[in-house]
Amino acid sequence: MAKEIKEKFLVQFGEAVGTVAAQSLGEPGTQMILRTFHYAGVESTMSTSGLPRIVELVDAKKKPTTPITYIYLNKDISKSFDKAEEMIKKISEVTMNSIVRRVDENFSKGKIRLILSSQEMEAARLTTKAVASKISKDFGFETKSEGRIIEIKVGTRDPKKVRSERVRIMNSVISGIEGAGKVMLRQDESTKEFYLIAAGSDMESIVDIPGVDSTRIMSNDVFAVYRLFGVEAARNVIVHELAKTLDEQRIGVNRRHLALIADAMTARGNIKGVGRHGLSGEKGSVLARAAYEETVKHLVHAAVYGEIDHMNGVTENVLIGKQVPVGTGTVHLAIKKEDLSKVGKKK
Amino acid sequence: MAKNEITHVYLNGRDIGTVDDPQKFVNEIRSARRTGVISGEINVAHYAKQHYININSDRGRVRKPYVILENGKSKLTKDVIEKLKSKEINFNYLFRNGIVEYLDAEEEENALVAFNESDITEKHTHLEVDIASIFGFTVSTSPYAEHNSIARHAMLSNFIKQAQGLYAINFNQRFDSRGYLLFYPQVPIVNTVPYRKTNIQKHPSGQNFVVALSTYYGYNMQDAVVLNRAAVERGAGRSLFYKTYSDEERRYPGGQRDRLKVPPPTAEGYMGEHFYSKLSDDGIIEPEMDVQEGDVLIGKVSPPRFLEESMGPSGIEEKVRDDSTVLKTGETGIVDSVMITESPGATKLVKIRVRGLRVPENGDKFASRHGQKGVTSLIVPPEDMPFTESGIIPDLLLNPHSVPSRMTFGHLLEELAGKAGAVSGKSIDGTAFAQDGVERMAEYGKMLEENGFDKYGEEEMYDGITGMKFKAKVFTGVVYYNRLYHMVSNKIQVRSRGKVQILTHQPTEGKARQGALRFGEMERDTLIGYGASLLLKERLLDQSDKTNVLICRQCGNIGYYDHIKRVNVCPIDKGSDFVEVEISYAFKVLLDEIKSLHIMPRMKVNE
Repeated sequence: MAKEIKEKFLVQFGEAVGTVAAQSLGEPGTQMILRTFHYAGVESTMSTSGLPRIVELVDAKKKPTTPITYIYLNKDISKSFDKAEEMIKKISEVTMNSIVRRVDENFSKGKIRLILSSQEMEAARLTTKAVASKISKDFGFETKSEGRIIEIKVGTRDPKKVRSERVRIMNSVISGIEGAGKVMLRQDESTKEFYLIAAGSDMESIVDIPGVDSTRIMSNDVFAVYRLFGVEAARNVIVHELAKTLDEQRIGVNRRHLALIADAMTARGNIKGVGRHGLSGEKGSVLARAAYEETVKHLVHAAVYGEIDHMNGVTENVLIGKQVPVGTGTVHLAIKKEDLSKVGKKK
Repeated sequence: MAKNEITHVYLNGRDIGTVDDPQKFVNEIRSARRTGVISGEINVAHYAKQHYININSDRGRVRKPYVILENGKSKLTKDVIEKLKSKEINFNYLFRNGIVEYLDAEEEENALVAFNESDITEKHTHLEVDIASIFGFTVSTSPYAEHNSIARHAMLSNFIKQAQGLYAINFNQRFDSRGYLLFYPQVPIVNTVPYRKTNIQKHPSGQNFVVALSTYYGYNMQDAVVLNRAAVERGAGRSLFYKTYSDEERRYPGGQRDRLKVPPPTAEGYMGEHFYSKLSDDGIIEPEMDVQEGDVLIGKVSPPRFLEESMGPSGIEEKVRDDSTVLKTGETGIVDSVMITESPGATKLVKIRVRGLRVPENGDKFASRHGQKGVTSLIVPPEDMPFTESGIIPDLLLNPHSVPSRMTFGHLLEELAGKAGAVSGKSIDGTAFAQDGVERMAEYGKMLEENGFDKYGEEEMYDGITGMKFKAKVFTGVVYYNRLYHMVSNKIQVRSRGKVQILTHQPTEGKARQGALRFGEMERDTLIGYGASLLLKERLLDQSDKTNVLICRQCGNIGYYDHIKRVNVCPIDKGSDFVEVEISYAFKVLLDEIKSLHIMPRMKVNE
């Protein structure tokens, strides 16, 4: 069996695997619908899918449009609904913006009055008092709370300063982890285990929270995974995310093509996109780079630094009209017929 | 809140003020318009939610007439209709007296329009003049439009514009750059009220074809159609193609000018005597002359492009360049008409109209008025066509698979109606929404039965080749078909070897330049993907811009062979040690261009 697999499925020497991988991902990409319909469920409404997501992954965007972190809990608490709820409260990022319904500034008295939304407060499990004390603790302002109303004494009457304080307060985080986003509870259907989904990707802060299982935490943010777990893990995220996005559209692309693309992107120990600033821009050949984008830039650079093109790639050999070094072009004559006799003599 | 909200009023997009009671304001404008106090060209749109009013009186708005309703009652009363019928009043009377008004796209948003009088409720504000008026011109000339899908409407309104027909009565006096003239245009048996009311009836653009919905040995797969050769020979789809060539005697600064005459053999670019043989003494071809590709239509000599060339060796004789107008490659025909006149710039202007016969052939495009297009795939002798019991041989065979997925039921209905009209000698009205579809079918069925045909339009048919009766009955009828102006004879092009571009030595592109088909970047990638490196080299080098160059071993630059001294020369270091390599000419051009940027590329050759 193993022998059969090796004989039948092993890639031949000289096979243009990169081109085939690019074509295998590129061709179905032309059929993908730009903005796809969403399946029911929390996860899909939170995440980008389809072509925009593929582009995001392949271009190695620093921050995904919709980061998601899957937070698994330690085995001892993961089966308890209440404890999982508690974890949400610890992690879920709540900003003032999301809980405040209305803001009034009184410049003559140097006061800011916040009217909180009862609905949002209950959802975030916060009390007016807790919010007020958090503000006075973080900003050092005197606060007065009553019902859903908080009055803050800013301590200045300069309208400009009052306004800037308002902006600072409104953007501040009241509870949870900054960058974790909104967190939702989910249950694994087979294991009955509770886990959390966060609409953010600050994995570094999340793993530090006691109760979070650091061995199982996952994110769709390639760079977040790279920072926390290293390049190998990031490579797996790229493959996994590409495959997931394609599967959603029922497009069958062999994993090995995706793995090759991910390998090429991560081969140097960091993550590079495939475009001008990534793989294509770092080709060894001057001519290949000049043939792609920013022709003059590469020619001038080559002239200034006296670059030498060794003509080892495909593009540059197509350009000058030489046989390209892939497929049937990879094999060469090791020794000329007339030189054979010389070899014999040396023996 | 909403009550106190201020409503802004914009006149042609400019803010002119505010009103407190927008609805009252809008109503006042509208009633003033209807009573003729202000111009009927003014339209007013009230955006209640966004709190603004747009009053428009500028040009460029598309407007459409509607009958005004008041309290759920049409202002177009029976009285008025009687007066209209007796020609006592006309449409303008309706417009001036507040019975009909024009709405633009913006004001339409404030109106609730009833399609028919029976639909009117208290809420409606307007009534369609006719429900068929919701269509544009092209769709309204198509019968049974209400039975076709929207996607097909979009297609048919394009096809109708591409149909060959009697495009102008004075076609003989016109010198159109391209003209298509159908030999025997017919008025469709099934037509519509807008078709009859507009001038289009005097410019018919198709013919009534006997159509059978039948396959024919796989020759009408996909969207192919099979034609009856007898029908083609009788004139079905036969047309003329007119093309006008023109040239003028231009004047150049410095007193030089072109001359229309037979070029002398001394002229630069002289093509050879026999190409000019059809020209008469004035250098212009005569009418009714047969012309082939390459024949000169207008002989012309121009002064040379560069000044120093204009003097002959003796200094007296003027050197000239042949600048004749030649019939384009792949074209043949007969010179239809020659016009010699003067251009606005007071130079001699010649226009030559060449006519060519275009008998339908394989590859020509036909379409019915239901967005059903097809390309001729076979022209069958009449004896091989399927025939009916009564001996009718269809003109065109349409694949029955063309209908269900496209949802063009109108095509089938036209086929039935056309047949009913043909057998009873009547013209049939197919105006959209004029009648219920089931009623129509019953009516046509009755007409057919009265004339001894099946009421569903089906016929027993026999295979013309084997003589065997088909197991199923075949739906047969008469459909109005347009021959579209996409014809193979104007598009066909072949090339094996041919011209190359001067700059890159690569093959030319495009039909007009006898060009090749591009083997592009993605095609290149497919060969790389297969690892077919030698095939790739053949495509991109051997069959394209292969050149042999000499490379100087010392400086890595391209040298050349001096034919006089019979030695290889390197222009840089005058060296003599060279190696000959095969590269693409495009690469040589690239190196030259890099050099023009003051960058010195050097090549090192491994052996």
